[in-house]
Parts: sequence; structure tokens; C-alpha cells
Amino acid sequence: MLGQLIVSGLAVGACYSLLALAMVIIYKTSDVLNFAQGEMAMISTYVAFTLMESHHVPFQWAVILTFLFAILLGASFEFVFLRQAKEPTVLGLIIITLGFEMILMGFAGWKWGPDQRSLDFPVSNIETYNLFGLVMSKINFWTIVISLVLMFILFLFFRYTKVGVAMRATQQNQLAARVMGIRTKWILSFTWAISSMVGAVAGMLIAALGVLDPTMMMDPLLKSFASAVLGGMTSLPGTAVGGAMLGIIENLFGGYVSLAFKSVVAFAVIVLMLCIKPSGLLAKHYVKKV
Amino acid sequence: MLKKAFVSMALLMMVTFLMTTPGLAQKVRGVTDTEVLIGQTGPQTGPAALWGAVARGTGLYFKGINDEGGIHGRKVKYFLRDDGYQPAKTRAIATEFVEQMGIFGVVGCVGVGPGMAVRDYYTENKVLMVSFGCSGVTNWINPFNRYIFATYPLYVDEARGLTRYLFEQMKLTKVAVFYQNDDYGKQGLEGVEHYEKEKGLKLVASVSAEVTERDLSSHALKLKSSGAEAVVMWAMPTHAALLLAECAKIGYKPQWATSSTLSDSPVMMQITKGLWTGMILSYPIEPPDSNNPLMVKYRAWHQKYEPNERWGTFYYSGCVYAEPFVEGLKRAGRNLTPETFIKAMETLKDWRGGIGGPFTFTSTDHQGAKYVRYAQVQPDSTVKILTDWVRITK
Repeated sequence: MLGQLIVSGLAVGACYSLLALAMVIIYKTSDVLNFAQGEMAMISTYVAFTLMESHHVPFQWAVILTFLFAILLGASFEFVFLRQAKEPTVLGLIIITLGFEMILMGFAGWKWGPDQRSLDFPVSNIETYNLFGLVMSKINFWTIVISLVLMFILFLFFRYTKVGVAMRATQQNQLAARVMGIRTKWILSFTWAISSMVGAVAGMLIAALGVLDPTMMMDPLLKSFASAVLGGMTSLPGTAVGGAMLGIIENLFGGYVSLAFKSVVAFAVIVLMLCIKPSGLLAKHYVKKV
Repeated sequence: MLKKAFVSMALLMMVTFLMTTPGLAQKVRGVTDTEVLIGQTGPQTGPAALWGAVARGTGLYFKGINDEGGIHGRKVKYFLRDDGYQPAKTRAIATEFVEQMGIFGVVGCVGVGPGMAVRDYYTENKVLMVSFGCSGVTNWINPFNRYIFATYPLYVDEARGLTRYLFEQMKLTKVAVFYQNDDYGKQGLEGVEHYEKEKGLKLVASVSAEVTERDLSSHALKLKSSGAEAVVMWAMPTHAALLLAECAKIGYKPQWATSSTLSDSPVMMQITKGLWTGMILSYPIEPPDSNNPLMVKYRAWHQKYEPNERWGTFYYSGCVYAEPFVEGLKRAGRNLTPETFIKAMETLKDWRGGIGGPFTFTSTDHQGAKYVRYAQVQPDSTVKILTDWVRITK
């Protein structure tokens, strides 16, 4: 049972990691926590669902179109709502994301209704891979692979591409970055677009693992937030480690201590982490010079 | 001068007398010569909007009844309001219903939480609450309230009945429970425990999940390691789908059984990707494709008035909740007041005039639904009724 609990924990942790990754990308560049992340992912997933279900678009095309939609959604949210905010503080921007979250939730309820749906995914969530007597569903396995690959690509992107370096520069000091010729506004839109796309991947995988409905991202978003705090809000590998650890901790707690309190473990983790090491496990603690 | 004062006093007394004498100047709120005013609250938006279909189903039923000429020359004037399953909103709507619209009663309102917020207010104002809550939570009907008529089987009794069915008919003794950690889920657990205690059996496992939880892998493992042959599930559709998938993954295939709240088999079949097959259901109404003459009639109404609505169990159960109310109106006759209505409702004894089970109301017991049938989900998402109506409430 121990082994199976760990394997299942890893699988669910991969979903948390993906969504945490989407949050961290935005946080890294703008210090903003995006509370609309979950609902943006949910809307994108509904777009994929509609394309496949109502317009009979093949899966791979539906995914590509959904990515395009997610990119547009992210960039336009930044452009239409955040950029227009007058002398925004970080708190103000966070509140805007909260408002956007509610708008999206209401929109999904109105457009697609409250019924639970099933997203057709080419990989089964019931068929399994067996490894030394431990089982993992095919979709769980591919979720782990996809999140690791995405993380690696983004890591390379931030470290070695010009745009990636510009994003980091924007986060550290917007004014200086602009003086150095970086188009910081463009960089911010770009960040939101990428984050929204990563969120869409997470949304589709989470819907395929369970069901698709307007409330499907509420729990995963909170858990991914906990994962990001655990791993470090500014560290990409931190989200992978944080997500996996949280998934395993939750499952072990559920399996051996109490299932009734399993879902609150994540919050205990946030509190503990903020007390012991506020920057998270893998992020460097740095103090901004004034 | 004295004479004038005397005459004015006499006049004043007469007016007061006339105003306070029943039957002379008073009229019954919500009842006119041609109409009965009825309110209904149900979530049309928000996380509980899935159950909002119940409210729209009641609307369909009243449209049909009105088209057939109404009851005793009166048509049902019906107001549906969206409370988003938020008790505070339900309370505000209740004030609007009573003080502005002046309704006679509420029918088929959704949600025990919202119900609890307005029960006292409606009672004070003598508003009849027929099928309020659409739910089988016991604290809705306790303590006894004359204005409440409940038409949904109690969850405790449903769960006890299901366990009895598993034990007596299917010979399954090792039973576990998976329940949602709230009133609804806990009453399912309680029902199973009752039966196990009666029979001197031991519940092999009880596993709960929070409403928002999305990862049930450790729950599935716990159920599997308990060795239960059957699992009674008291949960939301999402949890049911997640749990069935997790159990299938680890190769655990017990006999599943669940409450009528998950009886919408086509939806459940789709979201569980076929794993819903074989589920034993406690089934308090006719199946969607039933040949019952009333079901045929309701399907015709559905085609005529609301063809865009999905003909799901939640939707047409809205009719079941309104049927006893309309029967009460018929029996109360032309002289309709809350009192005559209550008396009329209390004459319903094993009443089978609708598409639900037999309803009985007495002057001391307004929990009308005491029967269910048992059904099993077939691979084509239809349900096969396995038994006749079985009494589940003692």
C-alpha cells in the first residue's frame, strides 16, 4: 500500500506542479499571484471540449486551437484589464485577477451549464501501466512526463533565450529593464500568454483525469498554490518538487492518518513552510534593495 | 356633542369588527377566483446549478396542468427565482414572495441549506412548503411542522434500505461506505450503520471525502484494502466518477450501490466512461423511458413546451414534487385556504396518482415518501427496475 500511495501521490502531484508552474511564470515576472489561473485553464478546457464535441475537430487540432485560444486569453487579459489599471499596486492587480476569476466562472456556467462532462482524451484514465506490482494509469504517467518536459523547456527558455532573460530582468527591475531597451509591456503580455497556455495543458489533463465542470479547478488551484509555496514561488524546478511532495504527503496522510483531514494537509504545509522557510525549498531568498 | 362622539365610536367599532371577522373582509393570500400563486427557488447559476433542472421541471408540470384547464377553475401562476443555492438570497426571495407577490405556497424548492434559512419565516406566514429541499435530510422534517410536506425519501432510510437489499437479495455481507463529508453524506453513513447494527454485522470501512476534493486515489486504496464486497456511495456525481476510475485503476471491482441523487444514468455513464454499468440504485420515481401513461404525457409536454431541455431524472423529478401539491389542491376544493389544503393533503393515503412512489400524509407525519424501488444500470445507460415498491421507512 505504501508504494501505491506514493505512486498515486506522484501522479496527482504532477497536476499540481503543472498549474503551479503556470502561476510561477507570472509571479516570476510581475510579482502577481494569478487567482484566475484555474478558471482560465477551465475555460480553455471547455474550448477544447466544444471543438471536439460540437465541431468534431480531431484531438490534435483541437489541442493546437486551444493553445492559440489560451495564448489569446492570457495576453488579452493582461492587455485589457491589468495594463489599464491606474498606478497599480501588486495587491490591486491580485484583486483584478480575483474579479476576472469570478467573471470566467459565471461565463462558463452560463455558456456550458453546470452539468459534468467528460473530455475525450486519447490516453485512458482507467488502463494502467504496471511496475513492480504498482499501478499507474496511462494518463497519470503521461501527466508526469508532460509536466517534466514542459518544465525543462521553460527552464531552458528562461535561462538561455533572450526573451527569457528579458522576462527575468523585467521582474527584477522594470524601470532598469526598460532603460536597457526591453519592451517590458510586451514581455508582460507574453508572460501571461505562456502561463495561460501551460494552464490549459493542466486543465485538459485534470479534466481528463476526472470530469469537466465549471468548478473543476477550485481544489487543484489551491493545491497548486500550496505546491508553489512549498517548492518556492520563483523556482521552476521548485514547482515540480513542491507538487510531487504535496501529492505524496497528502496521500500518505490520507492512507495512514486520516482521510477526513487529507484535504487540509495542503494548508498546514503552507503555514509550516511560511514559518520555517518563506521562500520555499528551492528558491533563493533575496531581499530587494531600496 | 356626546351623541356625535357616541356615533363615531360605534362606527369605529363596527369597522374594526368587520375587519377582524374572518370570512367577511379577509381573503386568502395567493388565492384568487382564477389563480393560485406559487413560488419556487432553485439554483440556476453557481456550483449547485445542476439541481436547478428540478425547478424547471416543476415549471413544465404547471404549464401542462394549466393547459388542461387548471384546478377547480384556478390556474397556477408560478414564479421561479434563482437563489444560486445561497440561503441569504433564498431568504430575500422569500420576503419578495410573501410581501410583494403574496404567494399561497412554495413547491419543489431546491436545497436544505436554503430551506433552513426560510422555514421559520414561511411558517410564521402560513406559507405551505411542499417538497421543499427536494432532499431527504432528517432535520428538514424535524421537529414536525404542519406547513411542510416532504416528498423525498429520507437518506437514512434509503441507505438502510440499500444495505438491506445488498444483504438480503445479493447476499453481500462485507459492506463499506464512501460518503461526502457533510449532512447529506453522513446520513448515508448513518443509514448503513443502522442496518449493520440491526443485523449484528460490522461495517468494514467508512471513507469520506470533502466536497471540493479532486484526488481520491488514497480513498480507493483504503476501500480496496478493507476487502469490502459492496460499497454504498453517498456522494456528488464528480466524486462518484473519480472514485470509480480510481478503483478501476487498481483493479478493485466491488458491487456499487448509491442513492437516488445519482440516478441520472446517462450523465453518470458518460462521465464514468461506462463504469456506471451494474450500479444498484435506490429509485423513487419512474425511469426516463417508462411507459407509464403519466410519463408518456409528461414527455409530450416536454416536447411541446421545452424541447431544448434534456429529459433527465432531475428535470422530470420536478413533476414528481409538484404532483402531490396539485392533488392537494384538487382535494381541497374551491374553498382553498392553508387549513383546507393541509386537511386535504392529510387524506392522501398510499396515493399512487403520480410518477413517484406511494405518498401518505397524516396529521402527525408529513414525511410522505416512504417507498423506493431498486434498479440496476444497464450497459446502454438505461435502468432495469429490479423490485416492486419497497417500504424503507418504518
